Amino acid sequence: MNPLEVLVGYLLGGVANGAVIALIALALVLTWRSSRVINFAQVGQAMFTSFIALSVQQATGLWWLAAGAVLGLVVYLLTLRPIRRSDSSGAIIATFGILIALQAGAAMIWGGDLVAFPQPFPASGIETGDRVWPISIYDLVVLGVAAALVLGLSLFLTRTGIGLAMRASAFQPEVVRLSGIDVRKTLALGWALAGIVGSLAGVLIAPISSLSPNSFDLLLILAFTAAVIGGLDSLVGAVMFGLGTGLLLSVVTGYSSAEDAPLAALILLALNLLLKPGGVFARPGARDV
Amino acid sequence: MLEIDDLSLSYGPVEAVRGVSLRVPAGQVTAVIGANGAGKSSLLRCVAGLVAPSSGRVTLDGADVTAHAPEALVRRGLVLVPEGRSTIPELTVRDNLDLGGLTRPRAERRETSAEVLDLFPRLAERLHVHASALSGGERQQLAIGRALMSRPRVLLLDEPSLGLAPLIVTQILELVARLARETDLAVLLVEQNAATALRVADDGAVLHLGSVVAAGPAAELAEDEGLRHAYLGY
Repeated sequence: MNPLEVLVGYLLGGVANGAVIALIALALVLTWRSSRVINFAQVGQAMFTSFIALSVQQATGLWWLAAGAVLGLVVYLLTLRPIRRSDSSGAIIATFGILIALQAGAAMIWGGDLVAFPQPFPASGIETGDRVWPISIYDLVVLGVAAALVLGLSLFLTRTGIGLAMRASAFQPEVVRLSGIDVRKTLALGWALAGIVGSLAGVLIAPISSLSPNSFDLLLILAFTAAVIGGLDSLVGAVMFGLGTGLLLSVVTGYSSAEDAPLAALILLALNLLLKPGGVFARPGARDV
Repeated sequence: MLEIDDLSLSYGPVEAVRGVSLRVPAGQVTAVIGANGAGKSSLLRCVAGLVAPSSGRVTLDGADVTAHAPEALVRRGLVLVPEGRSTIPELTVRDNLDLGGLTRPRAERRETSAEVLDLFPRLAERLHVHASALSGGERQQLAIGRALMSRPRVLLLDEPSLGLAPLIVTQILELVARLARETDLAVLLVEQNAATALRVADDGAVLHLGSVVAAGPAAELAEDEGLRHAYLGY
Protein backbone atom coordinates (compact mmCIF):
# COMPACT_ATOMS: atom_id res chain seq x y z
CA MET A 1 0.00 0.00 0.00
CA ASN A 2 1.19 3.52 -0.73
CA PRO A 3 1.33 6.12 2.10
CA LEU A 4 -1.96 7.75 1.04
CA GLU A 5 -3.77 4.42 1.16
CA VAL A 6 -2.33 3.81 4.62
CA LEU A 7 -3.59 7.21 5.81
CA VAL A 8 -7.07 6.61 4.32
CA GLY A 9 -7.11 3.21 6.00
CA TYR A 10 -6.35 4.74 9.40
CA LEU A 11 -8.99 7.44 8.87
CA LEU A 12 -11.70 4.93 7.90
CA GLY A 13 -10.77 2.82 10.91
CA GLY A 14 -11.60 5.75 13.23
CA VAL A 15 -15.10 6.40 11.88
CA ALA A 16 -17.08 4.29 14.37
CA ASN A 17 -15.10 5.48 17.40
CA GLY A 18 -15.46 9.05 16.17
CA ALA A 19 -19.23 8.69 15.78
CA VAL A 20 -19.57 7.34 19.34
CA ILE A 21 -17.39 10.14 20.73
CA ALA A 22 -19.64 12.51 18.78
CA LEU A 23 -22.76 11.02 20.41
CA ILE A 24 -21.38 11.39 23.94
CA ALA A 25 -20.29 14.95 23.08
CA LEU A 26 -23.81 15.52 21.80
CA ALA A 27 -25.25 14.33 25.12
CA LEU A 28 -22.90 16.69 27.00
CA VAL A 29 -24.00 19.57 24.77
CA LEU A 30 -27.68 18.73 25.35
CA THR A 31 -27.43 18.99 29.14
CA TRP A 32 -25.29 22.11 28.75
CA ARG A 33 -27.84 23.72 26.42
CA SER A 34 -30.79 22.92 28.66
CA SER A 35 -29.23 23.73 32.03
CA ARG A 36 -25.70 25.20 31.72
CA VAL A 37 -24.30 22.15 33.50
CA ILE A 38 -21.74 19.63 32.15
CA ASN A 39 -22.91 16.16 33.14
CA PHE A 40 -19.74 14.17 33.81
CA ALA A 41 -21.90 11.21 34.85
CA GLN A 42 -22.90 10.84 31.17
CA VAL A 43 -20.47 7.99 30.45
CA GLY A 44 -21.41 6.33 33.74
CA GLN A 45 -25.02 6.39 32.58
CA ALA A 46 -23.99 5.03 29.18
CA MET A 47 -22.00 2.23 30.84
CA PHE A 48 -24.81 1.35 33.26
CA THR A 49 -27.50 1.27 30.57
CA SER A 50 -25.20 -0.81 28.35
CA PHE A 51 -24.98 -3.38 31.17
CA ILE A 52 -28.78 -3.30 31.47
CA ALA A 53 -29.02 -3.75 27.69
CA LEU A 54 -26.67 -6.70 27.88
CA SER A 55 -28.73 -8.25 30.67
CA VAL A 56 -32.03 -7.92 28.84
CA GLN A 57 -30.73 -8.38 25.33
CA GLN A 58 -32.44 -11.75 24.87
CA ALA A 59 -35.78 -10.47 26.18
CA THR A 60 -36.15 -7.15 24.31
CA GLY A 61 -33.83 -4.90 22.37
CA LEU A 62 -35.51 -1.68 23.48
CA TRP A 63 -35.43 -1.70 27.27
CA TRP A 64 -32.09 0.06 27.40
CA LEU A 65 -33.61 3.09 25.69
CA ALA A 66 -36.08 3.59 28.52
CA ALA A 67 -33.29 2.95 31.00
CA GLY A 68 -31.26 5.73 29.37
CA ALA A 69 -34.08 8.23 29.80
CA VAL A 70 -34.78 7.11 33.36
CA LEU A 71 -31.11 7.37 34.32
CA GLY A 72 -30.93 10.83 32.76
CA LEU A 73 -33.90 11.89 34.85
CA VAL A 74 -32.50 10.31 38.02
CA VAL A 75 -29.19 12.14 37.60
CA TYR A 76 -31.08 15.40 37.04
CA LEU A 77 -33.21 14.82 40.13
CA LEU A 78 -30.18 13.92 42.25
CA THR A 79 -27.93 16.75 41.09
CA LEU A 80 -29.34 19.72 39.31
CA ARG A 81 -32.74 20.06 40.93
CA PRO A 82 -31.59 20.21 44.57
CA ILE A 83 -28.39 22.13 43.80
CA ARG A 84 -29.62 24.51 41.12
CA ARG A 85 -30.38 27.25 43.63
CA SER A 86 -26.72 27.54 44.61
CA ASP A 87 -24.70 27.52 41.38
CA SER A 88 -23.93 25.27 38.43
CA SER A 89 -20.44 24.33 39.72
CA GLY A 90 -22.10 22.48 42.62
CA ALA A 91 -24.19 20.45 40.17
CA ILE A 92 -21.12 19.71 38.01
CA ILE A 93 -19.22 18.32 41.01
CA ALA A 94 -22.29 16.30 41.99
CA THR A 95 -22.29 14.66 38.55
CA PHE A 96 -18.75 13.37 39.31
CA GLY A 97 -20.19 11.82 42.46
CA ILE A 98 -22.95 10.17 40.45
CA LEU A 99 -20.34 8.84 37.98
CA ILE A 100 -18.38 7.19 40.81
CA ALA A 101 -21.60 5.80 42.34
CA LEU A 102 -22.70 4.34 38.99
CA GLN A 103 -19.29 2.71 38.41
CA ALA A 104 -19.26 1.26 41.92
CA GLY A 105 -22.87 0.10 41.55
CA ALA A 106 -22.14 -1.59 38.20
CA ALA A 107 -19.10 -3.36 39.68
CA MET A 108 -21.24 -4.67 42.53
CA ILE A 109 -24.00 -5.91 40.20
CA TRP A 110 -22.09 -7.15 37.14
CA GLY A 111 -18.53 -7.47 38.47
CA GLY A 112 -15.41 -5.52 37.47
CA ASP A 113 -14.19 -7.70 34.58
CA LEU A 114 -14.40 -6.91 30.89
CA VAL A 115 -17.33 -8.67 29.24
CA ALA A 116 -18.06 -9.12 25.54
CA PHE A 117 -21.13 -7.47 24.05
CA PRO A 118 -22.85 -9.21 21.10
CA GLN A 119 -22.49 -7.57 17.68
CA PRO A 120 -25.79 -6.91 15.88
CA PHE A 121 -23.99 -6.26 12.53
CA PRO A 122 -20.73 -7.57 11.06
CA ALA A 123 -17.77 -5.58 12.44
CA SER A 124 -15.20 -6.93 9.99
CA GLY A 125 -13.98 -4.88 7.02
CA ILE A 126 -16.23 -4.67 3.95
CA GLU A 127 -14.96 -6.84 1.08
CA THR A 128 -15.15 -5.73 -2.56
CA GLY A 129 -13.61 -8.29 -4.92
CA ASP A 130 -10.27 -9.25 -3.43
CA ARG A 131 -9.97 -6.01 -1.44
CA VAL A 132 -10.91 -5.64 2.26
CA TRP A 133 -11.71 -2.06 3.30
CA PRO A 134 -10.80 -0.88 6.83
CA ILE A 135 -14.43 0.02 7.49
CA SER A 136 -17.29 -2.32 8.40
CA ILE A 137 -21.07 -2.39 8.02
CA TYR A 138 -21.15 -1.77 11.75
CA ASP A 139 -19.04 1.41 11.40
CA LEU A 140 -21.45 2.70 8.77
CA VAL A 141 -24.47 1.92 11.00
CA VAL A 142 -22.87 3.84 13.89
CA LEU A 143 -22.16 6.77 11.56
CA GLY A 144 -25.73 6.67 10.22
CA VAL A 145 -27.25 6.60 13.71
CA ALA A 146 -25.12 9.58 14.78
CA ALA A 147 -26.09 11.56 11.66
CA ALA A 148 -29.79 10.78 12.13
CA LEU A 149 -29.64 11.80 15.79
CA VAL A 150 -27.96 15.12 15.02
CA LEU A 151 -30.52 15.90 12.36
CA GLY A 152 -33.45 14.83 14.57
CA LEU A 153 -32.21 16.73 17.62
CA SER A 154 -31.46 19.86 15.58
CA LEU A 155 -34.98 19.82 14.18
CA PHE A 156 -36.45 19.13 17.62
CA LEU A 157 -34.55 22.02 19.24
CA THR A 158 -35.16 24.57 16.49
CA ARG A 159 -38.60 23.65 15.11
CA THR A 160 -40.68 22.62 18.13
CA GLY A 161 -42.13 24.57 21.03
CA ILE A 162 -40.58 22.23 23.61
CA GLY A 163 -37.19 22.64 21.91
CA LEU A 164 -37.56 26.42 22.06
CA ALA A 165 -38.51 26.25 25.75
CA MET A 166 -35.45 24.05 26.39
CA ARG A 167 -33.11 26.52 24.67
CA ALA A 168 -34.66 29.48 26.47
CA SER A 169 -34.59 27.76 29.89
CA ALA A 170 -30.82 27.49 29.69
CA PHE A 171 -30.45 31.25 29.49
CA GLN A 172 -33.29 32.83 31.48
CA PRO A 173 -35.46 30.36 33.37
CA GLU A 174 -37.46 33.12 35.05
CA VAL A 175 -38.52 34.59 31.69
CA VAL A 176 -39.55 31.10 30.59
CA ARG A 177 -41.67 30.65 33.75
CA LEU A 178 -43.24 34.05 33.07
CA SER A 179 -44.15 32.74 29.62
CA GLY A 180 -46.22 29.98 31.21
CA ILE A 181 -43.72 27.12 30.84
CA ASP A 182 -42.80 24.73 33.65
CA VAL A 183 -39.00 25.03 33.57
CA ARG A 184 -38.48 21.96 35.77
CA LYS A 185 -40.19 19.81 33.12
CA THR A 186 -38.09 21.21 30.26
CA LEU A 187 -34.88 20.65 32.25
CA ALA A 188 -35.92 17.09 33.09
CA LEU A 189 -36.68 16.46 29.43
CA GLY A 190 -33.27 17.81 28.38
CA TRP A 191 -31.49 15.47 30.78
CA ALA A 192 -33.67 12.53 29.77
CA LEU A 193 -32.91 13.17 26.07
CA ALA A 194 -29.20 13.40 26.83
CA GLY A 195 -29.54 10.14 28.77
CA ILE A 196 -31.04 8.44 25.71
CA VAL A 197 -28.30 9.75 23.39
CA GLY A 198 -25.56 8.72 25.84
CA SER A 199 -27.09 5.28 26.27
CA LEU A 200 -27.27 4.82 22.54
CA ALA A 201 -23.56 5.70 22.34
CA GLY A 202 -22.78 3.13 25.02
CA VAL A 203 -24.69 0.36 23.29
CA LEU A 204 -23.01 1.23 19.97
CA ILE A 205 -19.44 1.25 21.30
CA ALA A 206 -19.79 -1.80 23.57
CA PRO A 207 -19.87 -4.39 20.72
CA ILE A 208 -16.61 -3.07 19.21
CA SER A 209 -14.73 -2.50 22.46
CA SER A 210 -16.07 -4.47 25.44
CA LEU A 211 -17.84 -3.55 28.63
CA SER A 212 -16.64 -2.95 32.20
CA PRO A 213 -17.56 -0.36 34.84
CA ASN A 214 -14.60 1.82 33.79
CA SER A 215 -14.40 1.04 30.10
CA PHE A 216 -15.90 4.37 28.96
CA ASP A 217 -13.68 6.66 31.07
CA LEU A 218 -11.45 7.63 28.15
CA LEU A 219 -14.58 8.26 26.10
CA LEU A 220 -15.58 10.98 28.57
CA ILE A 221 -12.27 12.81 28.16
CA LEU A 222 -12.46 12.58 24.38
CA ALA A 223 -16.13 13.62 24.19
CA PHE A 224 -15.55 16.51 26.59
CA THR A 225 -12.63 17.63 24.43
CA ALA A 226 -14.81 17.47 21.31
CA ALA A 227 -17.71 19.33 22.97
CA VAL A 228 -15.42 22.11 24.24
CA ILE A 229 -13.66 22.54 20.91
CA GLY A 230 -17.04 22.62 19.18
CA GLY A 231 -18.15 25.46 21.43
CA LEU A 232 -20.30 23.52 23.97
CA ASP A 233 -23.48 25.07 22.59
CA SER A 234 -23.25 23.61 19.11
CA LEU A 235 -24.68 20.22 18.16
CA VAL A 236 -22.90 20.39 14.81
CA GLY A 237 -19.64 21.37 16.54
CA ALA A 238 -19.90 18.42 18.95
CA VAL A 239 -20.47 15.98 16.11
CA MET A 240 -17.80 17.40 13.81
CA PHE A 241 -15.11 17.47 16.46
CA GLY A 242 -16.28 14.18 17.96
CA LEU A 243 -15.77 12.54 14.60
CA GLY A 244 -12.51 14.47 14.12
CA THR A 245 -11.22 13.29 17.49
CA GLY A 246 -12.01 9.68 16.56
CA LEU A 247 -10.15 10.03 13.25
CA LEU A 248 -7.18 11.73 14.94
CA LEU A 249 -6.94 8.94 17.52
CA SER A 250 -6.99 6.32 14.80
CA VAL A 251 -4.25 8.10 12.84
CA VAL A 252 -2.07 8.62 15.95
CA THR A 253 -2.62 4.98 16.96
CA GLY A 254 -1.72 3.84 13.46
CA TYR A 255 1.47 5.89 13.06
CA SER A 256 2.55 5.80 16.70
CA SER A 257 0.76 3.75 19.38
CA ALA A 258 -2.59 3.55 21.17
CA GLU A 259 -0.95 4.92 24.33
CA ASP A 260 -0.19 8.23 22.57
CA ALA A 261 -3.80 8.75 21.38
CA PRO A 262 -5.20 10.39 24.59
CA LEU A 263 -2.16 12.67 24.68
CA ALA A 264 -2.97 13.83 21.14
CA ALA A 265 -6.52 14.68 22.24
CA LEU A 266 -5.25 16.68 25.20
CA ILE A 267 -2.80 18.58 22.98
CA LEU A 268 -5.75 19.39 20.68
CA LEU A 269 -7.78 20.65 23.67
CA ALA A 270 -4.85 22.76 24.93
CA LEU A 271 -4.34 24.28 21.48
CA ASN A 272 -8.04 25.08 21.24
CA LEU A 273 -8.06 26.74 24.67
CA LEU A 274 -5.01 28.79 23.71
CA LEU A 275 -6.13 29.83 20.23
CA LYS A 276 -9.94 29.91 20.40
CA PRO A 277 -11.04 29.46 24.02
CA GLY A 278 -14.72 30.06 23.26
CA GLY A 279 -14.83 27.07 20.93
CA VAL A 280 -14.95 27.00 17.15
CA PHE A 281 -18.74 27.19 16.73
CA ALA A 282 -19.61 29.29 19.80
CA ARG A 283 -21.37 32.62 19.55
CA PRO A 284 -19.89 35.36 21.76
CA GLY A 285 -21.06 34.85 25.34
CA ALA A 286 -22.47 31.39 24.65
CA ARG A 287 -20.36 29.83 27.38
CA ASP A 288 -21.17 32.41 30.08
CA VAL A 289 -22.95 30.76 33.01
CA MET B 1 -60.31 42.45 36.93
CA LEU B 2 -57.34 42.05 39.25
CA GLU B 3 -57.89 42.74 42.94
CA ILE B 4 -55.15 42.95 45.52
CA ASP B 5 -56.43 42.83 49.07
CA ASP B 6 -54.33 43.74 52.11
CA LEU B 7 -51.20 42.17 50.62
CA SER B 8 -47.99 42.07 52.67
CA LEU B 9 -44.59 40.65 51.80
CA SER B 10 -41.49 40.27 53.95
CA TYR B 11 -37.91 39.34 53.11
CA GLY B 12 -36.81 38.01 56.51
CA PRO B 13 -37.21 40.88 58.98
CA VAL B 14 -37.66 43.46 56.20
CA GLU B 15 -41.29 44.23 55.30
CA ALA B 16 -41.20 45.21 51.63
CA VAL B 17 -44.98 45.46 51.08
CA ARG B 18 -47.39 46.40 53.88
CA GLY B 19 -51.12 45.79 53.56
CA VAL B 20 -51.49 47.03 49.98
CA SER B 21 -54.99 46.97 48.47
CA LEU B 22 -55.59 47.85 44.81
CA ARG B 23 -58.19 47.29 42.09
CA VAL B 24 -57.03 47.00 38.49
CA PRO B 25 -60.12 47.12 36.25
CA ALA B 26 -60.24 45.78 32.70
CA GLY B 27 -59.63 48.34 29.96
CA GLN B 28 -57.68 50.67 32.22
CA VAL B 29 -54.12 51.44 33.24
CA THR B 30 -53.49 51.59 36.97
CA ALA B 31 -50.13 53.10 37.87
CA VAL B 32 -48.22 52.37 41.06
CA ILE B 33 -45.60 55.06 41.56
CA GLY B 34 -43.03 55.78 44.22
CA ALA B 35 -39.37 56.29 44.87
CA ASN B 36 -36.69 53.65 44.50
CA GLY B 37 -37.10 51.06 47.26
CA ALA B 38 -40.79 51.83 47.88
CA GLY B 39 -41.72 48.17 47.28
CA LYS B 40 -43.20 48.53 43.78
CA SER B 41 -41.30 45.69 42.12
CA SER B 42 -41.79 43.46 45.18
CA LEU B 43 -45.53 44.04 44.90
CA LEU B 44 -45.55 43.00 41.23
CA ARG B 45 -43.34 39.94 41.80
CA CYS B 46 -45.69 38.87 44.59
CA VAL B 47 -48.82 39.31 42.43
CA ALA B 48 -47.12 37.40 39.56
CA GLY B 49 -46.34 34.45 41.84
CA LEU B 50 -42.55 34.80 41.85
CA VAL B 51 -42.53 35.33 45.63
CA ALA B 52 -45.19 34.26 48.14
CA PRO B 53 -46.90 36.96 50.23
CA SER B 54 -46.76 36.79 54.01
CA SER B 55 -50.46 37.69 54.14
CA GLY B 56 -53.30 39.04 52.00
CA ARG B 57 -55.12 37.90 48.86
CA VAL B 58 -54.88 38.29 45.09
CA THR B 59 -57.98 37.55 43.01
CA LEU B 60 -58.34 37.39 39.24
CA ASP B 61 -61.93 37.84 38.02
CA GLY B 62 -63.12 36.72 41.46
CA ALA B 63 -60.94 33.59 41.69
CA ASP B 64 -58.33 33.43 44.44
CA VAL B 65 -54.89 33.13 42.78
CA THR B 66 -52.73 34.07 45.77
CA ALA B 67 -49.25 32.50 45.57
CA HIS B 68 -50.11 30.52 42.44
CA ALA B 69 -47.00 29.62 40.39
CA PRO B 70 -46.18 32.15 37.62
CA GLU B 71 -46.65 29.53 34.90
CA ALA B 72 -50.16 28.78 36.23
CA LEU B 73 -51.00 32.49 36.36
CA VAL B 74 -49.90 32.98 32.74
CA ARG B 75 -52.32 30.24 31.71
CA ARG B 76 -55.06 32.10 33.62
CA GLY B 77 -54.26 35.33 31.77
CA LEU B 78 -51.95 37.23 34.14
CA VAL B 79 -48.51 38.07 32.75
CA LEU B 80 -45.60 40.04 34.19
CA VAL B 81 -43.04 41.92 32.10
CA PRO B 82 -40.24 42.17 34.66
CA GLU B 83 -37.85 45.05 35.12
CA GLY B 84 -34.83 45.21 32.81
CA ARG B 85 -36.33 44.35 29.41
CA SER B 86 -36.77 40.67 29.97
CA THR B 87 -35.87 39.30 26.58
CA ILE B 88 -33.51 36.42 25.90
CA PRO B 89 -30.56 37.98 24.04
CA GLU B 90 -29.30 34.63 22.72
CA LEU B 91 -32.58 33.97 20.86
CA THR B 92 -33.96 35.72 17.79
CA VAL B 93 -36.87 38.15 17.93
CA ARG B 94 -39.06 35.44 16.35
CA ASP B 95 -38.06 32.90 19.03
CA ASN B 96 -38.62 35.40 21.85
CA LEU B 97 -42.12 36.10 20.57
CA ASP B 98 -42.91 32.42 20.00
CA LEU B 99 -41.79 31.65 23.54
CA GLY B 100 -44.50 33.98 24.87
CA GLY B 101 -47.17 32.16 22.87
CA LEU B 102 -46.23 28.58 23.70
CA THR B 103 -49.22 28.17 26.02
CA ARG B 104 -51.61 28.93 23.13
CA PRO B 105 -52.61 26.68 20.21
CA ARG B 106 -50.33 26.96 17.15
CA ALA B 107 -52.97 28.56 14.87
CA GLU B 108 -53.84 31.18 17.48
CA ARG B 109 -50.13 31.85 17.99
CA ARG B 110 -49.73 32.79 14.33
CA GLU B 111 -52.71 35.14 14.49
CA THR B 112 -51.49 36.81 17.71
CA SER B 113 -47.98 37.10 16.31
CA ALA B 114 -49.34 39.05 13.31
CA GLU B 115 -51.24 41.37 15.67
CA VAL B 116 -48.16 41.94 17.85
CA LEU B 117 -46.01 42.69 14.81
CA ASP B 118 -48.65 45.16 13.59
CA LEU B 119 -48.38 46.84 16.98
CA PHE B 120 -44.57 46.89 16.90
CA PRO B 121 -43.59 47.16 13.20
CA ARG B 122 -39.92 47.64 14.08
CA LEU B 123 -39.88 44.06 15.42
CA ALA B 124 -41.34 42.78 12.16
CA GLU B 125 -38.32 44.20 10.33
CA ARG B 126 -35.91 42.44 12.69
CA LEU B 127 -37.57 39.05 13.18
CA HIS B 128 -34.44 37.01 12.49
CA VAL B 129 -32.05 39.21 14.44
CA HIS B 130 -30.84 38.11 17.88
CA ALA B 131 -32.41 40.13 20.69
CA SER B 132 -28.92 41.11 21.83
CA ALA B 133 -28.63 43.25 18.69
CA LEU B 134 -31.76 45.32 19.45
CA SER B 135 -31.78 48.81 20.92
CA GLY B 136 -33.16 49.37 24.43
CA GLY B 137 -36.50 50.57 23.10
CA GLU B 138 -36.81 47.64 20.71
CA ARG B 139 -36.03 45.20 23.50
CA GLN B 140 -38.74 46.74 25.67
CA GLN B 141 -41.17 46.39 22.75
CA LEU B 142 -40.09 42.77 22.40
CA ALA B 143 -40.61 42.11 26.12
CA ILE B 144 -44.13 43.55 25.94
CA GLY B 145 -44.77 41.72 22.66
CA ARG B 146 -43.69 38.43 24.22
CA ALA B 147 -46.13 39.01 27.09
CA LEU B 148 -48.97 39.86 24.67
CA MET B 149 -48.36 36.60 22.76
CA SER B 150 -50.08 34.72 25.59
CA ARG B 151 -53.22 36.87 25.10
CA PRO B 152 -53.30 38.11 28.71
CA ARG B 153 -56.29 39.67 30.46
CA VAL B 154 -54.01 41.35 33.00
CA LEU B 155 -50.58 42.79 32.12
CA LEU B 156 -48.13 43.71 34.88
CA LEU B 157 -45.42 46.11 33.68
CA ASP B 158 -42.41 46.70 35.89
CA GLU B 159 -40.48 49.92 35.20
CA PRO B 160 -40.70 49.87 31.39
CA SER B 161 -39.00 53.30 31.25
CA LEU B 162 -35.77 52.10 32.84
CA GLY B 163 -32.81 53.31 30.76
CA LEU B 164 -34.94 54.51 27.83
CA ALA B 165 -35.11 57.95 26.20
CA PRO B 166 -38.20 59.95 27.33
CA LEU B 167 -39.70 60.00 23.82
CA ILE B 168 -39.47 56.20 23.54
CA VAL B 169 -41.01 55.80 27.03
CA THR B 170 -43.95 58.02 26.09
CA GLN B 171 -44.50 56.11 22.83
CA ILE B 172 -44.44 52.73 24.55
CA LEU B 173 -46.70 53.75 27.43
CA GLU B 174 -49.21 55.48 25.16
CA LEU B 175 -49.35 52.34 23.07
CA VAL B 176 -49.96 50.22 26.18
CA ALA B 177 -52.75 52.58 27.28
CA ARG B 178 -54.38 52.38 23.83
CA LEU B 179 -54.08 48.60 23.91
CA ALA B 180 -55.76 48.49 27.33
CA ARG B 181 -58.71 50.55 26.10
CA GLU B 182 -59.11 48.76 22.77
CA THR B 183 -58.70 45.16 24.00
CA ASP B 184 -60.17 45.46 27.51
CA LEU B 185 -56.78 44.62 29.00
CA ALA B 186 -56.18 45.43 32.67
CA VAL B 187 -52.72 46.99 33.06
CA LEU B 188 -50.88 47.42 36.35
CA LEU B 189 -47.96 49.72 35.62
CA VAL B 190 -45.18 50.17 38.15
CA GLU B 191 -43.02 53.22 37.47
CA GLN B 192 -40.47 55.44 39.09
CA ASN B 193 -41.06 58.00 36.35
CA ALA B 194 -44.25 59.30 38.01
CA ALA B 195 -45.07 62.14 35.61
CA THR B 196 -45.10 59.90 32.52
CA ALA B 197 -46.93 57.07 34.27
CA LEU B 198 -49.69 59.32 35.61
CA ARG B 199 -50.11 60.95 32.19
CA VAL B 200 -51.13 57.64 30.57
CA ALA B 201 -52.83 55.97 33.56
CA ASP B 202 -56.51 56.12 34.52
CA ASP B 203 -55.95 55.50 38.22
CA GLY B 204 -52.88 55.59 40.40
CA ALA B 205 -51.50 54.75 43.81
CA VAL B 206 -48.43 56.15 45.53
CA LEU B 207 -46.32 53.63 47.39
CA HIS B 208 -43.96 54.72 50.17
CA LEU B 209 -41.95 52.27 52.29
CA GLY B 210 -44.26 49.44 51.21
CA SER B 211 -47.57 51.17 52.03
CA VAL B 212 -50.09 52.99 49.83
CA VAL B 213 -50.04 56.62 51.01
CA ALA B 214 -52.36 58.01 48.33
CA ALA B 215 -54.67 56.57 45.67
CA GLY B 216 -57.22 57.90 43.22
CA PRO B 217 -57.67 59.09 39.63
CA ALA B 218 -54.26 59.57 37.99
CA ALA B 219 -55.04 63.15 36.91
CA GLU B 220 -55.80 64.17 40.51
CA LEU B 221 -52.62 62.56 41.84
CA ALA B 222 -50.59 64.35 39.16
CA GLU B 223 -52.08 67.71 40.23
CA ASP B 224 -51.45 67.20 43.95
CA GLU B 225 -48.48 69.43 44.62
CA GLY B 226 -47.98 68.25 48.22
CA LEU B 227 -47.84 64.62 47.08
CA ARG B 228 -45.40 65.50 44.31
CA HIS B 229 -43.01 67.25 46.68
CA ALA B 230 -43.29 64.68 49.50
CA TYR B 231 -43.09 61.41 47.56
CA LEU B 232 -42.60 61.85 43.84
CA GLY B 233 -39.72 64.29 43.63
CA TYR B 234 -40.81 66.42 40.69
